[in-house]
Amino acid sequence: MIFLKIAWRNIWRNKKRSIIILISIVIGVIAIIFFEALSVGFVNQMVNNQIGIHTAHIQIHKNGFNEEKLIQNYLPNSSKILNELRQLNEIKHMSQRIISYGLITTAENSTGILIAGVIPEEEKNVTKISEFLIEGSYFLTNKKEILISKRLAKSMDLSIDDKVVLLASRVDGKVGSELFRVVGIFQTPNSVFDKSTIYITLVDAQEVFGLNNNISEIAIVSSNLNEVAKLKDKIAKIIGAEYEVLSYHDLIPTLVMQQEMTGNWMLIIYIIIGLAMIFGIINTFLMSVFERINEFGVLKAIGMNEQKLLLMIVYESLILGIIGAIVGSIFGLSLVVYFSKVGLNFALFSEGLSAWGIAAIIYPEIVFFSIIKAFLVVGSISLLASLYPALKALQLQPVKAIRYV
Amino acid sequence: MIKIENLKKIYHDNGLPVKALDNISLEFQKGEFTVIAGSSGSGKTTLLNLIGALDKPTEGKILFEGEDLSLKSKSQLAELRLYKLGFVFQAYNLIPVLTAIENVEFTMILMKIPEKERRERAYKILEELNVANLADKKPNEMSGGEQQRVAVARAIVTNPSVVLADEPTANLDSHTGSQLMDLMEKLNRDRDITFIFSTHDPIVIERGRRHITLRDGKVVSDTSKCLQ
Repeated sequence: MIFLKIAWRNIWRNKKRSIIILISIVIGVIAIIFFEALSVGFVNQMVNNQIGIHTAHIQIHKNGFNEEKLIQNYLPNSSKILNELRQLNEIKHMSQRIISYGLITTAENSTGILIAGVIPEEEKNVTKISEFLIEGSYFLTNKKEILISKRLAKSMDLSIDDKVVLLASRVDGKVGSELFRVVGIFQTPNSVFDKSTIYITLVDAQEVFGLNNNISEIAIVSSNLNEVAKLKDKIAKIIGAEYEVLSYHDLIPTLVMQQEMTGNWMLIIYIIIGLAMIFGIINTFLMSVFERINEFGVLKAIGMNEQKLLLMIVYESLILGIIGAIVGSIFGLSLVVYFSKVGLNFALFSEGLSAWGIAAIIYPEIVFFSIIKAFLVVGSISLLASLYPALKALQLQPVKAIRYV
Repeated sequence: MIKIENLKKIYHDNGLPVKALDNISLEFQKGEFTVIAGSSGSGKTTLLNLIGALDKPTEGKILFEGEDLSLKSKSQLAELRLYKLGFVFQAYNLIPVLTAIENVEFTMILMKIPEKERRERAYKILEELNVANLADKKPNEMSGGEQQRVAVARAIVTNPSVVLADEPTANLDSHTGSQLMDLMEKLNRDRDITFIFSTHDPIVIERGRRHITLRDGKVVSDTSKCLQ
């Protein structure tokens, strides 16, 4: 206890210096907590957007469909599969789709696109496309209505009520074409998706592709995001090897890469913060220890052994580290709570962010584990920072330490 | 009690060897009140530091109660300093962040003496040295003489066999210095503590019952008052 008391009083011998160390620790902890929350918010937003815009948690196709999305690979026995899937409690929502490539043309322009034929009411439960409408409305009827993105509307000079023609290769090998009216314009946070996807109703898609009552894809939302892999395996077992059951990880492999990349960036941030803190603390502790070398010599002379002396010096940095971590955590958490409500506006980088499928406003998410992490990081840094000067002080013979100038 | 045999200490000053002690052999008996005198650089502080196991000799050995100090580990030496030795320094060297009573208690904490007992012992010793009124004051709130009394209290509170005092009166005026010597003589008499001083202060030299004079690292005289 006396060592803690001495350490505590030693800390306040030079108030300015201790406050400077404390401030640097507090800033470090705030940075760790805030960046962690921001990165989790970033990743979750990225995952939710990518899943929520179109992919869903799981997709079922006929084997080999996903690679080329050829309409000839439509889903056989879809009604039977749908009936089987409806028995599973783990499935929250399903959407029947026809997905394939085609051409959208106007009198002046044409471009290749991915045509998504959906049942409007089902799709509403599975993806957020209806929420991303910025002009017009979601499907009004099931008759020849098309939803296009703002990006596509701009590049093809289209607006609400304009007419477009969709051309696509039919299942019988002929070319199908139908005239559609633009009823809604959407804008998602994913610019790549917006560039290439349009929505029509399933009935119209069946007509365009000559598919009768068939579909090419079932999109599924699991009732638990953490158990998607389990559900995927279960479905695969039920429906058999003729079908491919893909989770969002399989469908968007870049998502895993992006998650890993964000994790790596966090590690780099930790290292930078750690280095800045460690050098600041070492520098200050060196000053603090070396100006007290005589005192340490006296303590050794009156019989204090090296372990206790080491403990006393280490206590000083640990106390500062703990106070800094507590104060930093309070400020860091408050900051995260505030920005998790109002969001952090990165409008300046919105172009770049939309390529990652992220909106310009990122909402940091509270991660309680980051507080533990901050305590561990700061604790180890404080310990490391004080060990070097402490060991230096211990190396001196008592007589040299007493006379140290 | 303390036996010094052929003790040599060579320092290196900018790579050049400097003989601080040159082949010294001495013996100290229990209860002695010894003054090691000599001019600056004669080697008296070096000798005191070696006796106190604060430094290591280049050659020769020191036997403390029959045990060779050179064979002891760092932690054994720390224990010896804690239990057997008391130090009084020229610059008092109290722990600045502790009060007088905490400074006195500190060595007893290292000895793991229970809190109640150590508080009582510390207070009693401060009373004995007439500084009990300063118990809650920190060193920077005390005069030099007061600090040195507290330092003496710290040195003797553990009942050491030997107190080593390096120029204890150097920073004190003659009156305070004299009072301090009265106190240490009393402790020597009452508690049978061996005192070894290094000094060139006449006040201290005059009180010593045994005088050892060093010059250039050698003993040039070793006399005792009772023999005179």
